[in-house]
Amino acid sequence: MGLENFSYSHTIGIASFQGRGFMNPVDVRLDSRGLVFVLSRSNAGNKDVRVSVQTQDSEYLYEFGRWGTEPGQTTQPTAIALDLEDRVYVTDEFMNNVTAFDREGQFVDRWGEFGTGPGEFNRPSGIAIDSEGNLHVVDHLNARVQKLTPDGGFISSFGTFGTAPGQFNFPWGISIDREDGIWIADWRNDRIQRFTPTGELVSTLGSSGRDDGQFDRPSGVHVASDGTVFVADWRNDRVQVFAGDGAHNETLIGDATLSKWCQEFLDVNPEQAGWRQNAGLFEQEKRFWRPSAVESTNDGLVFIADSCRHRIQIYRRVHALVAT
Amino acid sequence: MTTVARTRKDVAVVAHLLRRAGFGATRDQIDQYVAKGYEETVEELLNPRVGQPEDQDLMDRYFIASVEARSPGHADPQWSWRLATSEKPLEEKIALFWHGLLAVGGVKLDHGLEMLTEIDLFRRVGLGSFRNILFEISRNPGMMYWLDNQNSHKGAPNENYGRELLELFSMGIDDLGGGAYTEDDVKAAARAFTGWASKPTPPPFFLGPFPMEFRFDASDHDNDEKSFLGETGNFNGEDIIDIIVKKRASAHFIAMRLYLFFVSDEPDEGEIERLTDLFQETDGDIRSMLRYIFNSDHFKSADVRFRKVKSPAELVFGTARLTDRFDIPDMDSSMLANQSLFMGQHLLNPPGVEGWHEGEEWVDSGSLIERVNFAASELGRRDSHGVRRMLDRVGSAGDDLEPEEFVEACLDALGSIELSPGSKTVLVEHAAQYRSAVSGTVDGTDRAVEMFQLIVSTPDYQYC
Repeated sequence: MGLENFSYSHTIGIASFQGRGFMNPVDVRLDSRGLVFVLSRSNAGNKDVRVSVQTQDSEYLYEFGRWGTEPGQTTQPTAIALDLEDRVYVTDEFMNNVTAFDREGQFVDRWGEFGTGPGEFNRPSGIAIDSEGNLHVVDHLNARVQKLTPDGGFISSFGTFGTAPGQFNFPWGISIDREDGIWIADWRNDRIQRFTPTGELVSTLGSSGRDDGQFDRPSGVHVASDGTVFVADWRNDRVQVFAGDGAHNETLIGDATLSKWCQEFLDVNPEQAGWRQNAGLFEQEKRFWRPSAVESTNDGLVFIADSCRHRIQIYRRVHALVAT
Repeated sequence: MTTVARTRKDVAVVAHLLRRAGFGATRDQIDQYVAKGYEETVEELLNPRVGQPEDQDLMDRYFIASVEARSPGHADPQWSWRLATSEKPLEEKIALFWHGLLAVGGVKLDHGLEMLTEIDLFRRVGLGSFRNILFEISRNPGMMYWLDNQNSHKGAPNENYGRELLELFSMGIDDLGGGAYTEDDVKAAARAFTGWASKPTPPPFFLGPFPMEFRFDASDHDNDEKSFLGETGNFNGEDIIDIIVKKRASAHFIAMRLYLFFVSDEPDEGEIERLTDLFQETDGDIRSMLRYIFNSDHFKSADVRFRKVKSPAELVFGTARLTDRFDIPDMDSSMLANQSLFMGQHLLNPPGVEGWHEGEEWVDSGSLIERVNFAASELGRRDSHGVRRMLDRVGSAGDDLEPEEFVEACLDALGSIELSPGSKTVLVEHAAQYRSAVSGTVDGTDRAVEMFQLIVSTPDYQYC
């Protein structure tokens, strides 16, 4: 069955340990120029982590935040966010900190250390920025969301560990909507929780399962400028789309074609191309494998980090969603 | 025998069982199993509950590259975590046994995802019938690729799989290179397995790996009559396996390998003959053979206790379990397999189709340094759950212990470890120096931690 409200556009990416391409991309964000910032998580032991920057047409530009523990380096990065000045923030679960870069990838500052106190972290994960430029960091193992100034000053936090409404169980992704409402991918509770800017629970979306509106370890949530909600339904290998009122609208399972970089690789490696043809797994090649994050533009492009296929799949909205 | 002496013996025997049927246990876990009873513990180990581990999502969450593991190295975090934390230790131990016996090398296969699939296969069927294990591994796409069976065609068989199936996986050869089979049997087996292969997958270089699948191509299978081990018929691979497992040579081969892995580096022919009989009586049921082994007086006797050299995996993951410091997968847990590699055992990448040469060959001067440094470093982690509990246990033994009592308390806290008289004398003499030290310069915790580290640095700790 075809898609109703979206059409597949194209794919950026190829598996790569450095430079052009990605290695287990877990987050994707756009800057004010429309450049695509992709965070490769990789396997820290193989030291292929990085933030790479490219155009939406697959022109590779530069990378930064490569492996290490020195300022400007990352070890187990989990999420990125860009503010209105295109400053880039990267959370790191190993170093328990947040690093800020300018949009060219130059190190600006970093803060945070292991702990449970204000401004301390236990595996900081998702990160998002509100309309005032403040940071909201999912403090994954502390089961809370911390609000920080752009330079890391503690403002407030909310959340406790648990399964009751409003509590968190290994939370991961975060999105801030146009009213500064806070949406959290409450990963191990298999739900999305929506909070007011001050942390009061507004609503809950989803339950455990595989049906429409159900999740299996949702990793990312993204609220588009028109209020559409995208959920990276991680272990179900799909992205679900909801109207702002929570009504299920569409399910994306992956439609990837060969990216420009993959096509170039196969063009110069005919033996590999022949091997691929012989396998003939073209339908399997299209599908998401652990999609972990979603980004969108005001004009309806949707970017999905397809973590285990080392690419960003891009869709285009063809109909506006109508809330039921 | 007094109650105290009986209890001490119970603890020693249960600790021995857990070292061999798993990777050792903390002293508290040993107490729990002693309370449960020895035979009940054996049954629990032999019958692990079925199902995915509840923390698989966490493992995948923190090590996403291991979900689509492109190489054995990328897959390491997955198996390391299970070896260090699984509550079904025999399931992991039997997977390690088959991983070394039905060995697929990562260097050639270079497909971490498939290596993990194979380990999972061993977990799933490794305690069942040998016939089924051979059948499953013969349909394992990684094995088919590893031993070139995708190149074995009707009219042009590749003998690699047929040969290793007989020589290294089931019937074996004697010291003179002879066997219970002939070259003609190898050729017939190879013909019977034509058409058994792995499906082609896209190359992993641009989208990562794709799961491998088995494929039987009937059009490429040799349907002609074959003579194999004295029988004649239109055999396929499954028929070959059925014939192999009926032979006493196969029963003896598996009995020998189980004995060497679970009991002692020195074979006892009487015990192995009894196991061989049991194989034939139970149609090669591995669970029945292990039940016999673990419940036998021979296994429980002091003759075989601490007489088997720990493999690197046993040393690394046994020590990690002792310190019990992994609540959630982290960078340290993901790197445990590297420690085993440094000591000479590259998990998910055995050196060849023969697997690893075990026993004394595990230890040379280089690997011994790695072993001692790793174990001593781990026992120095006084913030770990395991070391803290050991310290509590030693502390509860009293404040004014004689040197020998102090060493005994530390040995007991480490999970009922036994030392040779020579090693013990050295440690008691060392403990006596604490008494002559100026009071207050070394506190009780420091002394105990240092003693733990000394104990795991002894030659005795290299044995299980």
